[in-house]
Amino acid sequence: MTARRRETWAAYGFLSPWIVGFLVFLAGPMVASLVLSFTDYDVLTSTDFVGGENYRMLLADPKVRGSLANTMFYTVLHVPLTMAVALGLAMLLARAGRRSAGFFRTIFYLPTITPKVAVGVLFLLLFNGQVGLVNGVLGFLGINGPDWTSDGAWIKPGIVLMSAWSLGSTVIIYLAALQNVPRDLYEAAEMDGASPWARFRAVTVPMISGALFFTLIINTISSLQTFDEVYTAFFGSANQQTYGNDAALFYVIYLFQQAFQFLHMGYASALAWLLFLIIMLITLVQVGLSRRFVYYESE
Amino acid sequence: MFIRSIRAAVSAVLVVALAAGCGGVGSSGKDSGNATVTLTMMGFGTGDEVAQTRFDAANAAIAPSSAKASEGSFSAQQFLSAVASGSPPDLVYLERRLLGTYAVKKAIVPLTDCVEREKIDLGQFRPAAVAEATLGGTLYGLPEFYNNRVLMINDTAFTEAGLDPATFSTADWPALTAATRKLTAVRGGKLARIGFDPKIPEFLPLWAHANGGALVSEDGKKAQLTDPKVVEALTFTVSLINAQGGWAKFKSFRDSFDFFGAKNQFATDQLGAFPMEDFYLNVLTESSPDVKLTVAPFRGVDGQPVDWITGNAWAIPAKSPHAAQACKWIKTMTESGSWIAAAKARAAARQAEGAPFTGLFTGNVKADEVIFKDVVKPTGHPGFDKAVQTVLQTQQAGFSEPALAAGEEFKAAWQDAVNRVLSGKQRPAEALAQAQQQAQAALDKANSGS
Amino acid sequence: MTALQEPQALAPVETGPGRHSGRRQRHRWVLWTALSAAAVIFVYPFVWLVSASLKPRPEVFDNALVPRHWAPENYATIWSAAPVFTWLVNSVVVALAAAAAVTVSSAIVAFGFAYFRFPGRNLLFASVIGTMMLPGAVTMIPTYLIWNELGLAATQVPLWATNLFGSAFYIFLIRQFFLGVPRELFEAARVDGAGYWRLFWRIAVPLCKPALIVSFVFELRASWSDLLKPLIYLRDPALFTMPRGMKSILDQFGQAGEARWEVVLAGAVLTTVPMIIAFFLCQRYFVEGVATQGRKG
Repeated sequence: MTARRRETWAAYGFLSPWIVGFLVFLAGPMVASLVLSFTDYDVLTSTDFVGGENYRMLLADPKVRGSLANTMFYTVLHVPLTMAVALGLAMLLARAGRRSAGFFRTIFYLPTITPKVAVGVLFLLLFNGQVGLVNGVLGFLGINGPDWTSDGAWIKPGIVLMSAWSLGSTVIIYLAALQNVPRDLYEAAEMDGASPWARFRAVTVPMISGALFFTLIINTISSLQTFDEVYTAFFGSANQQTYGNDAALFYVIYLFQQAFQFLHMGYASALAWLLFLIIMLITLVQVGLSRRFVYYESE
Repeated sequence: MFIRSIRAAVSAVLVVALAAGCGGVGSSGKDSGNATVTLTMMGFGTGDEVAQTRFDAANAAIAPSSAKASEGSFSAQQFLSAVASGSPPDLVYLERRLLGTYAVKKAIVPLTDCVEREKIDLGQFRPAAVAEATLGGTLYGLPEFYNNRVLMINDTAFTEAGLDPATFSTADWPALTAATRKLTAVRGGKLARIGFDPKIPEFLPLWAHANGGALVSEDGKKAQLTDPKVVEALTFTVSLINAQGGWAKFKSFRDSFDFFGAKNQFATDQLGAFPMEDFYLNVLTESSPDVKLTVAPFRGVDGQPVDWITGNAWAIPAKSPHAAQACKWIKTMTESGSWIAAAKARAAARQAEGAPFTGLFTGNVKADEVIFKDVVKPTGHPGFDKAVQTVLQTQQAGFSEPALAAGEEFKAAWQDAVNRVLSGKQRPAEALAQAQQQAQAALDKANSGS
Repeated sequence: MTALQEPQALAPVETGPGRHSGRRQRHRWVLWTALSAAAVIFVYPFVWLVSASLKPRPEVFDNALVPRHWAPENYATIWSAAPVFTWLVNSVVVALAAAAAVTVSSAIVAFGFAYFRFPGRNLLFASVIGTMMLPGAVTMIPTYLIWNELGLAATQVPLWATNLFGSAFYIFLIRQFFLGVPRELFEAARVDGAGYWRLFWRIAVPLCKPALIVSFVFELRASWSDLLKPLIYLRDPALFTMPRGMKSILDQFGQAGEARWEVVLAGAVLTTVPMIIAFFLCQRYFVEGVATQGRKG
């Protein structure tokens, strides 16, 4: 056996858990949903093939366009905001004393562990346009705050702000990455007279580019599938659902409604595969653009 | 059937991948009629004494068999997964308005045989509750609670605005607009009191009915959203909200109400009046027993009371493994004897807490008669006692929306329309015309299928 | 870019009094102010939650951070009204199994992707990432059918067992860290005759411990707070995890919206506290990465 072949065999050995899991638990359901997207599957009655009907319908469905636009709007604001703020916090944390850092790390992660129901309820209380604390503070500064939770134009910006609470995970990933940046690189740069900004650009960013790349891809994928927080805040109870504001209708929420409220599982599958394609395209673009910036020691 | 082929395909993948035959577990034993079995259910929890008392009675009725509560309200994902895998529960407890959708897809069975075999007296149920559980003349669920909508009036606000709560009525719309303007309070450019909350979108069926119209034909097959009466009802209710500063402000302010708390909108004088479900009276007796409240029937433009009814029901899924016991069980669960025992248990529990018992509004006429004659005692708050009497009278005027084959889509269509109007994107006629198309298409599709 | 030399003995991040003592003092001050300001925002939801869980029902949503009336009995209520202890134990078992399984398996798979060059690598890695792109709502029922065919649909097994096969998010995450390990370390070990498993276990894993701990903590949290899977799979209240149990309490008094929020929020606190402790215990390992290893020599 050549070294090359031996290496290939070993590689597949390491990959085997995932390959088995994929074949048993992932491939079947994924293929099934693709097939179902060409049917009028409703889980309960007999299912007929309808050809491309579902896909024709979704192209004409104004709610698909609306919810997709909402989701894109959110993603474009949320991802860079999360990454920037999380990196800032992680860099502050990396400089804090050992003991206090543990305390702050836990605090930044707190909203992530706090049950979503509580966070959703609290968001509605804090951001209430008339009596909420946020507008109270803005009013103190002489700014007349908008109706964050009921004015269609302000709901999405409000949701973006709420999403900042859940950036604890990103902070931790950056923190773990920052710990691996060799100090001597900074010292060398400092000796060369590089400004803090130059050190950040020339040392920090390239050295943690692997983590930046990861969070960019992952946060984009998960933003495009945002469901939990928005659903609990705006669609969670039957009462809230009534006001199901078009401005807060995200793509996966609409998909969920089609699947489990209207029992159009076939249509929902088509919606899912459209999103799959969109995410794939965006990810490919991101991978292509990132290739130049990401730096791995191993490559 | 296609699903079976999907399941076969999935199984085949499994067999190939694991190189082993994984036989599916057989479904639970066949219903032999009198074997000792444990009934499974979805959507029901035994949290309070009203549920627990009846649950125990129903279990006694099928002894030595028994039923096991599922804990947690109805969840479509849970129910569909179970049905898809061929292992549905024996019983399902869900909102009556959802029955039509599952009935038309044959996920739940008609109760015709059950009613006949167990000699269930349908006359004991209120007609509006039975109607809500009936699709195309066939009964699919035994009704439980009977949620009424009545008008709740904040006396303090009315006195301040120089209005008389006793003569306030929703029958005269121009007068209602005038009263709303008087009752609305604005302080420092911010809404300080909502004069009158029409509670749309959710109460649009009530307003349409009050105006002599209906969102859907009685057989549940034709959407009537473009009916001038409906358009008029929407136009009017939206005008009420716009008269109070528009939707965004209105809703933000209303969202800030401490709805279940001691500082609720009546206690803090933040609301003049609104139509509301009767359960809210219980909330008020608990959280702010001293508010000055008048309860009146919601009246139509003809001056007659209108009361929109909703509630839950028990249904039996298709392929329920123990349909016979399930039928016996739900019979006991919904009959008057169980309700009366439950009411007594609740009254005792409330007494132990030192709180008044204001009764239960059930879908069972006979139960209500006994409960309000024998179990309910004066609360010591004349306002609440009078309120309970008002609800009881209003109940006679109850109507329900017909069961629909595509209830959720129908509702989404008109609610979206109302939201579009409220946010200023469309005018009422235009929004409802769009909704009419969507709703009718959904109904046609659901009714033609299967 | 040029490959880097093996990490030198590294100075700890927080250096003692340095050359620019005065500037450092000022920096510290700015640092503390910024961290504290951010901390207030991030701690708020939890403080609100704890406070609300200690209020009587009529005051739950009154927005006061200090309860006007204290109601610690909410905790007694939930403890006696529901088998909270059983649910917590179930949650611990399921979350630990899920987190341990996913960390070990994902690390193994990630090493396969990070170290080896082999035909089909990019395609396979793309399909790993691809599995994250399809919304779960449409694969939920087919997945349920598989577990049903296996006869395990009503057990806790589906809540963690798929983790034995790795999960895309963690494979990707750990791979990123493995890629950061200088290749010379592996080559040197190869020259010394180390096998692939030894490269993984003796070099990659110790150097990337933060990434593994992070994966463990993330999955612990995800599994701990997951409601959807327990909702679909678990039927027997004795098997419920905490979030599933909380839902039954939320629905219990739910007839016409009379949910007992104060009890639910007390349950939410009980759900959160074990996670805070777990996180606090794990977080100090986040900083022990290559840097520490390097220092130890």
